[in-house]
This record gives sequence, C-alpha cells and structure tokens, in this order.
Amino acid sequence: MKIDFVGKRNYFIALSLVLIVVSLISIFTKGFNVGLEFIGGSELVIKTTDNHTVADVRSKISGIRPEFEKARIIEVHALGQADQRTFSILVSPKDEKGALRTYNAEEKAEISSKVEEALNGKVVSFNEVSGDAADEIKNLTWKAVVFTLLGILVYVALRFKFAFGIGAIIALIHDVIITLGFYSIFGIEMNIAAIAAVLTLVGYSVNDTIVVFDRIRELGRKFKGKDIASVVNDSINSIIIRTINTSLTTFFTILMLLLLSTGSIKSFAFGMTIGVVIGTYSSIFIASPIVIKWVKSI
Amino acid sequence: MRSDRVRLIVSLALLVAAVVAMLLPGGRPATGIAKLFSRVKLGLDLSGGVRLEYRVDIEKGTENPSAVVDDVWTVLRNRLDSAGYTEAVVKKSFRENNSFIIIEIPDATDTTKAEKLVGSTGLLWFGQSVDERDTDPTLNPDDVNLALREGAQWYPDKDGKKWYLIKKEINNRKDLTLSGPRIIEAVPRIDQKGVAYYVVSFTLDRQFVEIFKNITKELYVPEQVLGAGSTQYQLALKKRLAIVLDDKVQFVGFVVSPIEDGKGQIRGNFTFDEAKELAAILRSGALPARLEKTTASLVSPTLGKDVLQQSLNAGIIGAILVMVYMIIFYGVMGIVAVIGIFYALIIIFGFLSGTGAILTLPGIAGIIFTIGTLVDGNIIIYERIKEEIRAGKTPKAAIEVAFSRTLWTLFDANLTTIIAALFLYYFGTGTIKGFAITTIVGIFASMFMNLVFSKFLLDAMSGAIRVRKAGGAQ
Repeated sequence: MKIDFVGKRNYFIALSLVLIVVSLISIFTKGFNVGLEFIGGSELVIKTTDNHTVADVRSKISGIRPEFEKARIIEVHALGQADQRTFSILVSPKDEKGALRTYNAEEKAEISSKVEEALNGKVVSFNEVSGDAADEIKNLTWKAVVFTLLGILVYVALRFKFAFGIGAIIALIHDVIITLGFYSIFGIEMNIAAIAAVLTLVGYSVNDTIVVFDRIRELGRKFKGKDIASVVNDSINSIIIRTINTSLTTFFTILMLLLLSTGSIKSFAFGMTIGVVIGTYSSIFIASPIVIKWVKSI
Repeated sequence: MRSDRVRLIVSLALLVAAVVAMLLPGGRPATGIAKLFSRVKLGLDLSGGVRLEYRVDIEKGTENPSAVVDDVWTVLRNRLDSAGYTEAVVKKSFRENNSFIIIEIPDATDTTKAEKLVGSTGLLWFGQSVDERDTDPTLNPDDVNLALREGAQWYPDKDGKKWYLIKKEINNRKDLTLSGPRIIEAVPRIDQKGVAYYVVSFTLDRQFVEIFKNITKELYVPEQVLGAGSTQYQLALKKRLAIVLDDKVQFVGFVVSPIEDGKGQIRGNFTFDEAKELAAILRSGALPARLEKTTASLVSPTLGKDVLQQSLNAGIIGAILVMVYMIIFYGVMGIVAVIGIFYALIIIFGFLSGTGAILTLPGIAGIIFTIGTLVDGNIIIYERIKEEIRAGKTPKAAIEVAFSRTLWTLFDANLTTIIAALFLYYFGTGTIKGFAITTIVGIFASMFMNLVFSKFLLDAMSGAIRVRKAGGAQ
C-alpha cells in the first residue's frame, strides 16, 4: 500500500503557513506566560517548628491566591538551627495584562498572616527577587541561534545537497515557531523546563529530517532519472513504519510525564508532546517538499 | 567471527570503565542502587545546595545604584562561570532600600570556597616593593615610620606570613601607576620551575600594555646584578615588582627583562584550584562595590522534592512502556533495544560521574532525548533487517546489509544533532550547557551502542530472528 504524501503537499504548506502566522501573532500580541524562573517575583521566608514536607506546604498554601499554585517552594536549612524548618516560597503575582507586579503593604500583611496560619510559623521576610534564569535567555543570543543553524546547514549541504540543508533548517525554524506559538496560545508557563523542551525539539527535528533525507538520497541514487517527487514519496512510504514507531515510543514517555507530573515539568511535557508531532510532520510535509522544489534529480 | 569479538571486547571495556567511574569513592553517602549514582553531581534544581546572600555596599550619592548592582551581578556571573560554577545561580534582590545579591551553588556542602571567590573584590594593582618583614610591621613604630618616610604602605601576603612595603607610584613617578587594569586573558599553568605547583599567566588589555612596559623598564634589574656584590643586590631588592590583589600581596619578584607584550605571570605555589580561582577573579575584573555577607545556608531542591518524585515515576513507567512496545513489535531484536537502553544509560552516568559534570533538569531532558534517538536508531536498523529478510536474505546476511546501509543514516542524523549541541554548549550558559553536555555524551553512547554493541548482540541472536512476510517480527 502506498500513500500519496507529496501530492497534497501544497495543502500542508498552506496549513503550516497558517500555523506559523497564528503562532507569530500570538507570540507578539499575547506573549508568553513567563515563569518565575525568568521574571522573579516575591519571596516569602517562613520559619516553623512543625514537621512539614515540601508537598505539605504546597497543598496548604495553594489556595491562598491563584499564583500560589505555581509557587516555587524550597526548604532552607539555616546553618545551626536544626529544630526549625525554614521554607522559601516564591510566587509571581501578575496584573491583568500578565505582567509581574509587586504586592502592596496590605496584601503582604494579609498573605503573611494566611501563610503563618496555614503553616503554624512565623514569616521572617517578604521581599522582591529577580529571576535567576533570565540570563540564560539573554546569553542565548542571536549568535547561538545563527551559528547553530549555520552549522546544521553546512553539514547537511556537505553530506547531501545545499537544498537539503535549506530544507532541514526551514523545518527546524518551522517547528520551533509553532511549538513556541502553542506555548503562547495555551498560556503554558515558559520556564527552564520549557526551554529544555524546545532544545530537545531542535535535536529531534533535525534527527528526524535527516533520516528522511537519507532515504531520499539512497532511493534517488538507486533510481536515477526517476521523477524527484515520486522518489520522495517512495522514500517517505518506505520508512513510514519507522516514523510511526519512533514517534509512538517517544510519545509514550512524554505522555506519562504529561499525565503524572505537576509544576514546571508539565511545561516540559507539553512542549515535547507538541514537538514530537510537529517534528515528525515537518520532516515529511515541509522539509521534503522543499527538496522537491529545489532539486531536479539526486 | 573475529570482528564480533573485537566489538564485544570494546563494548565491555567501555562498560567496565563507566561502572568503575560510577563506583569510585567520593560520592554522596548512599545505599543500594542509589550508590551507583552517588558520584553524579546534581544541579540546584535536583539536589539543592548552598545559598549565600550579600548586601551590596553602595556608596551614598551614587548616581545610578541599580547600574552598580547590575555590574556586580555581571562580574560575579563571569567569575563563577570561569571558575567552573556554571550551574550556580546569581540573583538580585531588593528590600528596605538595600540591594542584595543571592548566589546559589548546586550540590555544595561547603561554603568557604565559594565565599572566597565571591567575596573577593578583585581589585588588582601593580606596585614597587621596597622592603619586607617576617613579623607584623604595623606593630613596630620603626617600621611604621619607615613607611611614612618612603611614602609607602605595608601589605600582608596572601597567607598573612610576610609583609611588604609597597609604593603605588613606581620610583615615586606619578605617571607610573597601574591599578585595576582590564585583563583579557588569565589561565592557570603548570609552574615550569616547581612542578608540583601552578602559576597564573595573564595578558593585559592593549591600552595597559604601554604603561606596564614602562613600569617594568623602570624596575628592570639585569640578571647579573642579582649575582653580583651585595650592595648592588640590596639596591635591587628595593626595585621589585609587586602584584597586589585586594590589598593582599600575590607576588613580589625581580623584573629581569622589561615586559613589552603585556603578558605576565603570578607565581605563588598555587594548587590547581587556587590558580583556577585566581585566574577567574582576574579575568572577570574588579567588583564595583563591596559585598557584605548577610546569610549562608543550605537549600533543598528548587524543583521541589514532590515534583521530582512524580517525574521519576513517570519516567520509569514511560521507559517500561517503550521496552514492552519494542519487544512486542520486534521480538528478539526488541530485547537488544532494551539492553541498549541500559547500556547507554550506564555510559552516560559513568561519564557524568567521571567528569563531575553537573546534572540538571535540562540535562535529564537531554538524556531522555538521546534514549529516544537510541530507540530510533534501533528501529531504523530493525526495519532494514526485516526488509532484507523479506527480500529473501538469511537473518545473518540481512544483519550485515542492514548495518552497512544504516551506518551512514545514523552517522548523519546523529552528527547533525551533535553539531547543534556543540554550538549550544559553546554559546549557552548554565542549564543550556547542561542540556548540551548530556546530549553530546548521550548521542555518542547511543551511536556506539547502535553501531557496535547491537551488531554483536544481533549477530549472536541471529538464529532466533523470525520475520513474518508483512507486519511485525516474531
């Protein structure tokens, strides 16, 4: 049984263009739900003699305000105070526009007394802190992006043909924009775990595209002179079981993570789920048509 | 087959090396299976670490205090990065009109080393040493007077055992001072003279090369003078170059040839770690403000212990599902994939244990990804084997053809990923580096597993491979 993957390629290209435009619009108008690792927030430090675990603290305080559900809770062992437990609770309160705001004095007093009641302790400090991961993104400047893309382009162009390099890169950019778009549209928190998911997607997308290209290269040599579109279609068909199996096995792991985890890991699982689907889709429907358009024969 | 024996030996050697690296002493205390991972350094998000808080002492009337705090942040970030604490976190905090810097260092239990690195202001200057003492000269009125007469000051060395009388103006020339120069390069090197120790060699920024040349010209003492009569030697002793960091003398010595290229060395019987930290401080420049330590404490994982446990459970269930799927779909060959997953994991953790690279959440993402590519590699090979068997080849011949055909597929796919990861490692910081490291190691491990060890295993099991005409293998 042979499926005609490349015949309807223009529909898929149109679909991708729509997805990219929608993603870009959302990214630039709605923006991201940025996590506290990037923007920081308000840190409340509480001392208690009760024997709470981090999970206890989370369940006890999550009802105080919506932002407390996503609080970063860390147990601090102050040197030389073994009988007391100290927890640092970091939250990012947002205003209506989704921008970080600071609590005013009354709110602080109200929150402090609620937390003290919930945990039977004493709030020792409540102040604003900067995000600790903002520099990660600042440092991952255009240089890193451009050089990474260039590195892939050069390697793929050398091992295959220049058009294959272009195809791989466009597929990659396509995947990253759409995945970021999904983060923006669904308001999933952007945090370190989300960045990790996007990075993983970069690897996955490139890897998947190259495997398809490799088959196109092989069949192209075998059937020299055959129409490039049908070579590409045969190639995709001949490795479709591999594509399905690989996507499924990756999907299992990620799905478990999406179902069973909470907090920042959920952002990772979300990005990976979207990424696996988009990455597989783009190597078949985006990267390969570009090759068809640019290459007359292998 | 002979080549299979080579494959087995190389695979086992790598496995043994990884296990040895994991079992070396020096890890966290642990029991049972956890002992295997006790040497893997975990990031702040996974294991917690040390948290230091400093108040930034900004002089009153400073025009733009938040810019000063930003500069302090940048210097500390550079310093921690170049001393190898790339996973450390530096945060700014504000309260009661004061600015604070919070530094969190993963998997650390001892704060002293980090405090030395962070607390040091890092102001480097060059001077002329005119005298020295073995006891504290500031307690001796004669020595105090001597300092006043010379227009110089006594400074202790870094161990506080020796004191040097140092002038900031070389030979009292007002135009010959050099304080807080920008240093473009500083690296620890093995001391050529005393093999057991390290020196720090540095290169000054171009704009300071000329002044440094003039200083060394002024202090230049021909080598033969050092061996000549004692009066000449006594005079030379008053013309020694002193390198002072944070008002502690790092180095005092004769200038036996004027230095024209702005390159110098600080010798001081440093251990490698000391030299590395000193180099980091020199490279990152001086702090624009003094820091005053307010608290030091140990913190639990920033990701939250509860979140970690859930993710671990999810990971284990996911892995089992993958293994079951592979065995159902590929039969005997699926078992090879399962062995491969364990093999690659041991190699990755062996590498992390052996090198002391820090594992963070993005690092784990990298491991999951490489396991994904490992399974993908298996699937590509197995599909090829099935294809060849259906085309009428015997399993043994099919394996040979499948491996020679897929070698370049896997090579290209994996090498492109490694290229991307290398650029991320080079340009990224902290957690992104963490992702890049496990990805690079993981891809190498899975490539090795797929192309070398799997080949051996499949050859050994070839008799048991059955393929139906279409669909799955049995």
